[in-house]
Amino acid sequence: MCSWFILTDKCRSANRPNQGIRGPRSALTDFLSSQNIQAHQIRANANARRAAAALAAAANVQNNADGDDDADDDENEEDNEAGGSTSTTASRARAREQKKQKQEAAIAKIKESKLYIKKKQQKLAREKKHKRKRGGDSPDLPESDSDDLARALLDEKPGPVPGQMANCEICDKRFTVTPYSRAGPNGGMLCSPCGKKLAKDQNDAKKNKKPKLAAQGGGGRRKMQSRILDGTYHVGAKPLMNLCIETLAKNIQLADGLGDLPPRVVDLIARKLSKHRLLGPDTLRLFLDPRNDAVSLYDAARLSSQDYVTIFQQVTQLKKLKLRNAIQFKDEVMQYLITRNLNLDSIYLHGANLVSEACWIEYLKAKGEHLKALQIYYMDKHVNDAVVSTLKVSCPSLTRLKLCHNQEVSDDGIKLIANLVKLEHLSLQLIKKTKTDPYVAVVQSLGKQLQTLSLKNIADVDNRLLDAIHENCTSLKKLRVTDSEHMTDAGFARMFKGWKNRALVFLDLQKCRHVDPAKPRENEHMVGLCSEGFRAIMTHSGTNLRYLNIHACRHISAAAFEEVFAEDKVYPQLSKLEISFCEEVTDFIVGSIFRCCPALKELNVKHVKVPKGRILVGVPNAIGMQIEGVDD
Amino acid sequence: MDLSKYITLVSKDGFEFVVLRQAAFISPAIKSMLDPRSQFQEAKTSRCIFGEISGEVLEKVVEYFHYWYKNKEREDVPDMDIPVELCLELLMAADYLGLDSKANPDRQVRY
Repeated sequence: MCSWFILTDKCRSANRPNQGIRGPRSALTDFLSSQNIQAHQIRANANARRAAAALAAAANVQNNADGDDDADDDENEEDNEAGGSTSTTASRARAREQKKQKQEAAIAKIKESKLYIKKKQQKLAREKKHKRKRGGDSPDLPESDSDDLARALLDEKPGPVPGQMANCEICDKRFTVTPYSRAGPNGGMLCSPCGKKLAKDQNDAKKNKKPKLAAQGGGGRRKMQSRILDGTYHVGAKPLMNLCIETLAKNIQLADGLGDLPPRVVDLIARKLSKHRLLGPDTLRLFLDPRNDAVSLYDAARLSSQDYVTIFQQVTQLKKLKLRNAIQFKDEVMQYLITRNLNLDSIYLHGANLVSEACWIEYLKAKGEHLKALQIYYMDKHVNDAVVSTLKVSCPSLTRLKLCHNQEVSDDGIKLIANLVKLEHLSLQLIKKTKTDPYVAVVQSLGKQLQTLSLKNIADVDNRLLDAIHENCTSLKKLRVTDSEHMTDAGFARMFKGWKNRALVFLDLQKCRHVDPAKPRENEHMVGLCSEGFRAIMTHSGTNLRYLNIHACRHISAAAFEEVFAEDKVYPQLSKLEISFCEEVTDFIVGSIFRCCPALKELNVKHVKVPKGRILVGVPNAIGMQIEGVDD
Repeated sequence: MDLSKYITLVSKDGFEFVVLRQAAFISPAIKSMLDPRSQFQEAKTSRCIFGEISGEVLEKVVEYFHYWYKNKEREDVPDMDIPVELCLELLMAADYLGLDSKANPDRQVRY
């Protein structure tokens, strides 16, 4: 031990190559020693420098604490620092001057350092907060303040140097300081277990803070995009009603009942609950008011067959039943419904694919005469042509019929629909391939009274349907014909020119276009909705149209758009326009659309081809789309 | 006659709230009550008395009016805090005053 000290001491004083026996040396050490540079000498110098700095800092702290009025003390200290020399006043003044300069240089250096900038920002933020609370405003930190901050940093006691031993601030255990040792809350060092614990606590605190912040804001950029696509985006605060319903949905388990809320509001609550899948056997009771004649459940997936029976037992005046995802709505529930004295006039059932064909027919025969509306979605194979055939006799007062995704309904079923003489609203979306003739038969027989005609996915249906609509339909308000690959531009133009029907309110002709993967741009026979048809539509229905969807009607020319949305044209009602994948639309046309449609709320222009070098402003992006102008 | 910038809302238990006229007009019900062209008493005195809304609820409604007015042009607005115990009563009041999405001019129409 003693000899080691002597050895190192010798080395330091002798300032010559290390002669002690050591392990293998690196190439760098060899190189440095050949250049007469000694690692331990550098270390020794650095240690000396640090010790001097620590001493000076300690003196400084004391100095500041004592204050400037104590001049004697100050001088004494400086005497000490100078090593007790008997210097003159001049040299003392010079030393003081030098010290001051050094300090100023150090302060300047600190001001440039990252730590200082960070601390300053923190302080600024704190200040601002205070100011805001007091109601004033001050943009920046005063200069004297920032000097104080730098001085405080300078005066901060430097912690133990890495490699040194120290006592942990929390557990008092002795440990070796490393560059990774953490500083404790009071400025001391922490041993590694205590440091880890502290880090964990801090992280936890951070984690606890974050979700709160997220809940406060309206949501991030992604959420906003999602709201734009959902169509629920709007500028400004949410309506009070929505806020209340959201709060209610969050605390639905506390609610005993919904009191005397009007059915409209109850319906909104039901929708909100379903969105979060909160509707279950326990929350069902909130929606079963015996005084109501309607029950609408938008996500009934968690209800059992017994729960459905409960609905019929409690709501004895039930007339309108609307159930989505009604998976457990089985034969036994239907049987119960048949045996009760309940006469529904409106049934909306989605996903009840366990109800058998026989049961459907039995129900329709027993209770069908009261039915005015029947909407059936996703019933698998059990709603078929046989079920449709019973409608004529057993449901004489049916005015609304909707069949969506029922795999077994075919052309024969459609022909049978033509016999439902009171039908006013008809929507069909069938899975089986269908031909034109059955639809023509339906339109010929019901055309006069039909107000809604919605035919989705009718790829093989051709112009004859359009001609039949032109001939027969006179009271249509809503028309949807989608995905046709055989209808032509001439057919659409013929239908709308001189049509006796009043102007439509809702028109959806999406994806009525020519499809040829080999030559997508060529359209010799003008298949699908093209320029002439589009002009005819807007001439006939432009004044009344509120919703227009011509998604992917790719062959409508720019000239037709420019003509339709010319300067002198106005479409006062149009509030939603979907022109995605119409390739000829340019920014000029979009501008014209906004000019011609004062009521436009939503314009969807996905994949519109914008000419090179031009900018399309107003595409729904991260910032969202705002319509210019003032509201009343 | 020049209309005052403020109006007074009175709850059934006698609490009075003075509200910015423009802020209260988010409610179509109040707007039509105070329409100067109408001959309603409310329009003349700029005082609306709500016989069915308690002071506690009306206070929250008034808070909402100002919250709405302050955030009128903003995007990504933080939600206002609704006390759970007032939720149902507030919902009734919101329905009565027409504070649903139809009242919002920037509402997007869904079909």
